[in-house]
Amino acid sequence: MALTGRAGLLALLGVVFVGVAMPSWTGILLVLLVVLVCVGIDLALAGRVRSLTFTRSGATQVRLGETVSVSLTVRNPGRRRVRGVLRDAWPPSAGVVSDRFSVDVPAGASRTVSVELQPVRRGDRIASRVTVRSLGPLGVAARQGSHAVPWTVRALPPFHSRKHLPPLLERLRELDGRRASLVRGQGTEFDSLREYVIGDDVRSIDWRATARTTDVMVRTWRPERDRQVVIVLDTARTAAGRVAGELGGLPRLDTAMDAALLLSALAIHAGDRVDLIAYSRQVRASVSRASLPELVSAMAPLDAELVEFDARGMVAEVLRRARQRSLVVLLTGLDPAALEEGLVPMLPALASRHRLLVASVTDPAVTTMARGRGDAAEVYGAAAAERTLAERRHAKALLTRLGVDVVDAVPAELPPSLADRYLALKAQGKL
Amino acid sequence: MTATSPDARRIWSVAKGPTLVALVILASSLIVALLSAPGEGGELDPRSATEQGTRALAKLLERQGVTVEFTETTPSTVDDATLLVTRPDLLAPEHLAALRPADLVLVAPTQWLPPGAQVAGGSDVQDQQPGCAWAARFGEATTGGVEYTGGDSCYGGSVVRLGSVTLLGTGAPMMNKSLADKGNAALAMTVLGRHQKLVWYSPAVADPGQQRSLIALLPDGWKFGLLQLIVAIVLLGLWRARRLGPVVAEPLPVVVRAAETVEGRARLYRRSRARGHAAALLRQASRDRIVAALGLPVDAPPAAVADEITTRSRDEVLALLYGPEPGDDRALVRLADDLDALENEVCS
Repeated sequence: MALTGRAGLLALLGVVFVGVAMPSWTGILLVLLVVLVCVGIDLALAGRVRSLTFTRSGATQVRLGETVSVSLTVRNPGRRRVRGVLRDAWPPSAGVVSDRFSVDVPAGASRTVSVELQPVRRGDRIASRVTVRSLGPLGVAARQGSHAVPWTVRALPPFHSRKHLPPLLERLRELDGRRASLVRGQGTEFDSLREYVIGDDVRSIDWRATARTTDVMVRTWRPERDRQVVIVLDTARTAAGRVAGELGGLPRLDTAMDAALLLSALAIHAGDRVDLIAYSRQVRASVSRASLPELVSAMAPLDAELVEFDARGMVAEVLRRARQRSLVVLLTGLDPAALEEGLVPMLPALASRHRLLVASVTDPAVTTMARGRGDAAEVYGAAAAERTLAERRHAKALLTRLGVDVVDAVPAELPPSLADRYLALKAQGKL
Repeated sequence: MTATSPDARRIWSVAKGPTLVALVILASSLIVALLSAPGEGGELDPRSATEQGTRALAKLLERQGVTVEFTETTPSTVDDATLLVTRPDLLAPEHLAALRPADLVLVAPTQWLPPGAQVAGGSDVQDQQPGCAWAARFGEATTGGVEYTGGDSCYGGSVVRLGSVTLLGTGAPMMNKSLADKGNAALAMTVLGRHQKLVWYSPAVADPGQQRSLIALLPDGWKFGLLQLIVAIVLLGLWRARRLGPVVAEPLPVVVRAAETVEGRARLYRRSRARGHAAALLRQASRDRIVAALGLPVDAPPAAVADEITTRSRDEVLALLYGPEPGDDRALVRLADDLDALENEVCS
């Protein structure tokens, strides 16, 4: 049950009554009795909350930053009308504008309210409870009760870098040709045999095939397809770091996801297969031969954990999963100590079977600090930043020496840089 | 059914624990209160049956036909009565002087004494011989405490009579525990039983009853109106306190600024005045950039680097890129600026 302001007002009127007409305990008890009787009447005559039934419908996922609505239908199977307030409670990060609605559901009827959600964070937003406060006829007291009406809205990564996709696809088409190439070269594989037409390069004539048929046959080539790309997301300690950028400062993990999505979109268009593994000390999420929506959905609930990245475990997992020679894209921080202890000893095992590409987010704030001059605090800051930059350069050089491609860019640049590197590798036939 | 609100059975299952605890506390406090009821009152209280109390003496006096009237506030009529003040030091001296009883008995007074009496010292409470004429018939009694001079002095000065005023050095002879010993009862009953009425005055620390409280002066309408106002405020509070469903909690992700470690390291350098270290880092970074711009190998010796830079003298370049650590923070700031200038000259 719940009281309303009217119960308090009634008691306030009682102050005048007790003060003027009946200044005694009897007066106070009398006023209290009147209030209690009113409350009793309201509680007895208010519509039942317990027997209400609820159904939900509407969106189950939303790209971060966009708004969706989820409808909630209240059915009143009771004999009395339910009039009052309804609250559809969601977690704060679901970004609900208004979760309170005034409802008036006659007996046997149903009403629908619609909640607008604009999630402020990636991940699953789970509806909490629906609470109804059903007022009595006097409006002095109300019945109140809650119902669990499960519903989940998954806030997907925003994929801001999709604006880079059209030019990349254009380059991919150039590379791909959409027409079979007669020139054999790096990054191409045998496509088919066809009859010679005037203008074809005579060097591409397949003499054995010509001998078997009555026509002159030429071989055609096409870019490699059906390569495997394994994207590994580091979701450990360093992924939690928020890096200042044009998007208002996102965790490294979010930038890494953006880059992974752009790369996946491109690779899927190019006919390659994409696997995703999110790893910290164990596999957090994994999808194989995934479509873009599957990847987006798998990434949505991931958050960085405060643990050290287990590079050995990650390498073992990749080796176990990827039987075929693959391009392994590791999205991680270039932390020299972690690299030297974890990743470097395992590199030979990985590099002998796969091609490794390490992509990392540079913090532009550190570069800015390195240019700090003027007073002692700034110069000490510059020295510390120079040290960090030197460590990163060292780590990068180390990896490059070991035959690993490294992409190191500020948040806004990372997704297109990674995609560029992928296209370059594809063009060179190094996948 | 999707309802999550508790029904009567669930409310009971949740509430029975606290209810049980509350009942146990209530029952045990009741038992304690009942068992400890007779022990009320303190030292020299005529209602108290403890060792320090004086209930036995009061009963004996009543059996002899003396009316014992116990009070904690200033007695009104004491003209024809014996007045016993058990803690005279709690009263203001002039207040005590203003009381004019037929007979006055004071227990261990030190602040106000009747004219002619003075405090002489103190002694242990023990059985003593009277040593004077009027008390000879009581024999040995438990006396001691404060000793006085002047008047009829008995028991070594611990019982003194000056006219109608009797000073007792201690209340011991009147207490329940020692009343039956020696001549205590005779002494106490003689001193206190001279008149038909005995006013037993135990002044409280703050003598109440002198003024009426503010609440008592208010008219009933205001008093009960105020009470009703409290009721109304409680109801309004209940209205505002009731939430429409519970607060929804959610786990928050870990998010820290990535540059925090770098900033922390900078502060450490500064606090520990690691000028040499900071200068070495800045010089190393500058050297790396200059060497790259000049197209020299990464591990070029200092002399080779200095020879390649034509804009400055060789010694100047060596001092700047490979020199000693700066002496203070200002020198460090200057070094950073000089390194910038050199880089600009080389790279442009």
